[in-house]
Parts: sequence; structure tokens; C-alpha cells
Amino acid sequence: MTDTAIDTATDRTPLLAVEGLKTYLYLRRGVVKAIDGVDLHVHAGESLGIIGESGSGKTMTSLSIMRLLPQPGGRIVAGSIRLNGVDLLQLSERDMAANYRGRQISMISQDPLASLNPVFTIGDQVGAPFRYHGLAKDEADIRRSAIDVLRRLRIPSPERRLDDYPHQFSGGMRQRVVAAMAIACSPRLLIADEPTSALDVTIQAQMLDLLREIQHSAGLGLILITHDLGVAASVCHRIAVMYSGRIVETGDVREIYARPAHPYTQALLQSLPRLGEKKRRLYSIAGQPPSLLDRPRGCAFAARCAHRMPICDESPPPTVQAAPGQSAACWLLKS
Amino acid sequence: MSLVAVEHLTKHFAVRGPLLSRSRAAVRAVDDVSFEIERGATFALVGESGCGKTTLTRLMLGLETPTSGSIRFDGRDLATMNRRDWKGYRRQAQAVFQDPHSSLNPRLRIATILGEPIRAHGLLSGAALERRIAELLDIVGLPAGAARLYPHEFSGGQRQRIAIARALALQPAFMVLDEPVSALDVSIRAQILNLLADIQERFGLTYLVIAHDLALVEHFSDHVAVMYLGNLVETGPTAEVFARPRHPYTQALLAAVPRPDPAHRVAARLIQGEIASALAPPSGCKFHPRCPQVMPVCQTQTPLLRATGAQQRVACHLPQSET
Repeated sequence: MTDTAIDTATDRTPLLAVEGLKTYLYLRRGVVKAIDGVDLHVHAGESLGIIGESGSGKTMTSLSIMRLLPQPGGRIVAGSIRLNGVDLLQLSERDMAANYRGRQISMISQDPLASLNPVFTIGDQVGAPFRYHGLAKDEADIRRSAIDVLRRLRIPSPERRLDDYPHQFSGGMRQRVVAAMAIACSPRLLIADEPTSALDVTIQAQMLDLLREIQHSAGLGLILITHDLGVAASVCHRIAVMYSGRIVETGDVREIYARPAHPYTQALLQSLPRLGEKKRRLYSIAGQPPSLLDRPRGCAFAARCAHRMPICDESPPPTVQAAPGQSAACWLLKS
Repeated sequence: MSLVAVEHLTKHFAVRGPLLSRSRAAVRAVDDVSFEIERGATFALVGESGCGKTTLTRLMLGLETPTSGSIRFDGRDLATMNRRDWKGYRRQAQAVFQDPHSSLNPRLRIATILGEPIRAHGLLSGAALERRIAELLDIVGLPAGAARLYPHEFSGGQRQRIAIARALALQPAFMVLDEPVSALDVSIRAQILNLLADIQERFGLTYLVIAHDLALVEHFSDHVAVMYLGNLVETGPTAEVFARPRHPYTQALLAAVPRPDPAHRVAARLIQGEIASALAPPSGCKFHPRCPQVMPVCQTQTPLLRATGAQQRVACHLPQSET
């Protein structure tokens, strides 16, 4: 997208810096290493797209940042998550809830129906963040704030919809309400986890347009988690590709799509059917991702990789710079 | 001659009116839809929630009966078929559904899942049945040992292969593919699409595919029909419709697709608003409240499908130039 956002961002300390993050799920059938060493950063005014398939660890990354891991069993075993220099992992739960979660970092999840309580009105729910964080003087003020934030999400006549219940809204409008709750307290960082996967394509286009607008006008840091390479391309400045609990490639969105460095990213982009290109057969990636209970010793993608070498099975590949601002974890780049 | 011919197909569902009132409203889920599918071809239905594509597939599979209109299969009207004919049709027409987790019975071994349709039709038993099961597994790229396992022992992509094998068990001529890859991971989708293309060629299958991914539809289908609130708004050869979409809704759908290209800008503002309720569809052209090129006539008169190209047809009042 805009050059300025990225260029001015590089020298500053990032808004969010995640380093060496390891999140494990201790389940009865074993230990799932859902995130196995992730580094990432997001600057204010920047949007980072995390692309990955189911089980790649993209949702666990967002839940780790929010400190909302599934309990019992979910535990961050290593690493740090710094927001403006403050390590969220060192905070008490009380501090996290009062001053960070929903206040400085908030989240939009995939299913708008599951994010809204069916027995409370939209006004109650959109007003809740203002009430909880003490950002309004009285009930009238809460109502005004709720109307304002719904208007920012272009919900038609919000003053009349405030007393409606979630079931009276369409899917697209419900997702806007969820987004309104997320930006209610003017957070610094917004995490959107598959925010449009449940929406129809014309409604998705409207929602993505709104997300871009909110991100731009409020100068938010945005993490967009998606499996859809089209969605990520249309919203994000930078991309991180996750595979089996690790980031395999990261870089500027144009570089990643034009010159993907990691064989997995290359294969993903090659396997997509594209509008305006009729191919007889699609390029397909053989096999399937490894089990997180039993990840291979070396590169997790090796078994499916077209460029597999002996060393790939022996030890995990180091992250190497592939181009300015683009790095990938692959033995090919090392040689 | 075409294998499937749908003529003026209409399905209304009665819905209960307000409490204590006797009034009954009707949802016109499928409203006067006509199309034909050539033997060996792939016909795609696209549209958003509530457009009627699910009802249409249920009608095709005989899971619903039409309110009016007809579906002809191999020249015979489904409505006039007797029990025996129906059994024959059910053998000829099979389906693969979106979610391979819910379409396979978790308590049955794969051998039972694949053998069930064959046994139900009394075709094979014993060793011959076992050989057929092994053959089906081989066709979809699974080892013969898979027969002894249960669905939960497979990944999503493998489960979809099993669902495809089950659909092939009776050597059908026609398959309905309802969002066959949208529940699968991106890196698995191409494998399944290639498999579907392979078996189509190998067994001369005719496909009706329902999909919301337009890039997939362009890749996979020969003909396409775009539906909006129960109506067919545009239809024709996929290459023609995608190269020169005539209906403002088709244009908007194509423009709204996010592409894996950071230089591409999605035209989000091209259409405003949401899909109207099927219970109270707008008058005239049902798309008119969202249409960027709406005219007065659109609010009162329902546009009929008319030819705009060799095979392309569009239901829109806008003047169509032959280009």
C-alpha cells in the first residue's frame, strides 16, 4: 500500500514486538507445540497479515497476544510480547484486563454470532467497553459513544438500532457491531482473526474497505489473520507466512507476492486458481502438514517440498534475509 | 442432447405468518429458473447467501419437490418417474458436499461407507465388493488399507477423497459438487480439484458445481449461472461471462473478489447495501436497490433473460450492445 507508512516506520520502536514466543497446549494426548518460536513486530499505522492454514498457529498467536489462551492446557512457555516496550507476559491478569485487553489491544474474531450475546441489546454490548474501562460519565454518555462508534462503522441509523438484538442484524452488520466493540476504546493494536471468512463476497469487500479506513484514520497497528491470500493482499503492508507453528517467511507484501522466497509460499501462490487465467491443471502441493504432536526434527515443510535436501530433515532451517525487508527460514537460501 | 434440462423451475416454501394470524407468506427460494447441462460438461452455480443455490441442488437430487416447472434427466421428467425409475436416477446422480467431517458417519469403517450404496442397490457382495472398494480407494489416491479405518483417522483432504469415492461407487453419470473444497485448507484444494477433473475425464462425468470462489469457478467450469434471490440473472459460457459480465450484479461480484495481487484494488463501493430478505424481495428487478445503474423501469418490471451473445443470456433492463 502506501510507501510512507513503511518507510517512516522502520526506524521507530515497533508498537508490538513478539520475540521467541512459544505457546504449548498440554492436552491428554500429548503436548501440542502450537507456536514454536515466533518473532514478529507491528508498527503503529501498519498492517501485518498472518497467513496460514488450520493448525499453523495463527490463531494461537493472536490468543497469546491477548492472553486468552484456551484453559486448561494453554500456556506460554517462552518469549516476550511487548506493547510499546511493556512485556504483557509480566503483567498481572488484573492489570492486563484493566489497562490492556480491550483498551489498548482488541480483537475481532471470525464468527460474529458467537461474539455477540443474544440476550443483550446492541447498545448494551457496544456500550460495555466504555462502561468497563470507565470512559463515559453516565449512561447517556455511554449511549452517545455507542452511537458514534456504530456510525464510524457505517451502520445505518445507529440511534434507532441501539435497542435491537443481535438476531435482528444481518451477518455483515453483526460483524460491523463486533468491529465497533473492538475499536470502542480507541485501541493501539487491533487483531482481526479471519474477520470476513463468514461473509459473502460483496459484503466482505465492504468490511475490508471499512477495516482499511479505520486502520488508516486511527493510525492503528493491525494484525490481520487469514487463510485467504487475496484478503491479505488487499489490506496488508507486510506479510508473515506461518507453517506448523513457525513463521517461514516474512516481508513486504509486494515482495512476498512477486518474489516469494520460501518454497511453501511459492507453492501456495502457484496452487491458487486466479481470475483471468485459465489453466488446465492446478499446481498442487503433495501431502499434508505434519502433526503438531510429532513435528519433524528438521524443516516442517520438507516432506512436501520440491527442493528437499538431506539437511532439511536434520535440523530446522535458520531464518535468512532473502531481500531487503524480506526473510525466510529455508536451507536453500543458506547455501 | 443435454443430460440435464431444468425448465421454469420454481420452489416456494411456506413460512408461518405472525402469531395467531392465518396469513402465510411464501419464500420464493427458486423462481422460474431454466438451464441445461451438456453431457460431460461442468456447470457452475454462483451467488451469495439466500440466492437459492442450495434449494436448487436439493431439487436436482430429488430431496425437494418443485412447486412448478420441471427437471429432465436424460430426457425424462423426474416428476413422472415411478419408484423403480427413481432408484435408477439415484444411482445416476450423486453428490459431494462441503464438509467431509459431517458427511461421513464417524461410527462406520471406510469399507462400510463405500460399500453401503453398492449393497443398497444389490450390485456386488463378498470378494467382488471388496475388490470394488479397493478399486475406488485407488481411484481417489488412497491406499487399500484405508478401508479398515474410521473417518477420524483421516485429514480433511483425505476425507473429501473418501466422500468422492463414495459418490463414484455406483458409477454415476452426474455429480452435484456443493462447495467441494471450501472447507479444505488452501494447500489441499488444488489436489482435490485436480482429482475431480481427472475422474470427470476418466468416467465422462457431468458436474453441477456450487461455489462462491469465482476464481475456482472460472478455472473449473464450462458454463456458469449467476443467481440472485432465487432468480437466474446471467448465464452463459464461463469464459464469455467472466470476460464480459453484462449484469451489474455479476460485474459487482467479480469486482469484489480480493485477488492475490497487492496492486489490485477491490471496488468495494461498486454496490452498496445488503442482500434483501427473501421473505420480502424488492419489486421489479430484485437487485434494483443495490444496483449502481438502476432506472425507473427496474422498480416495477421484472427483467426476463434475453440473449446478448452467442450463448450468453442476461436478465437486465439495461440496453445491451452486441460487442
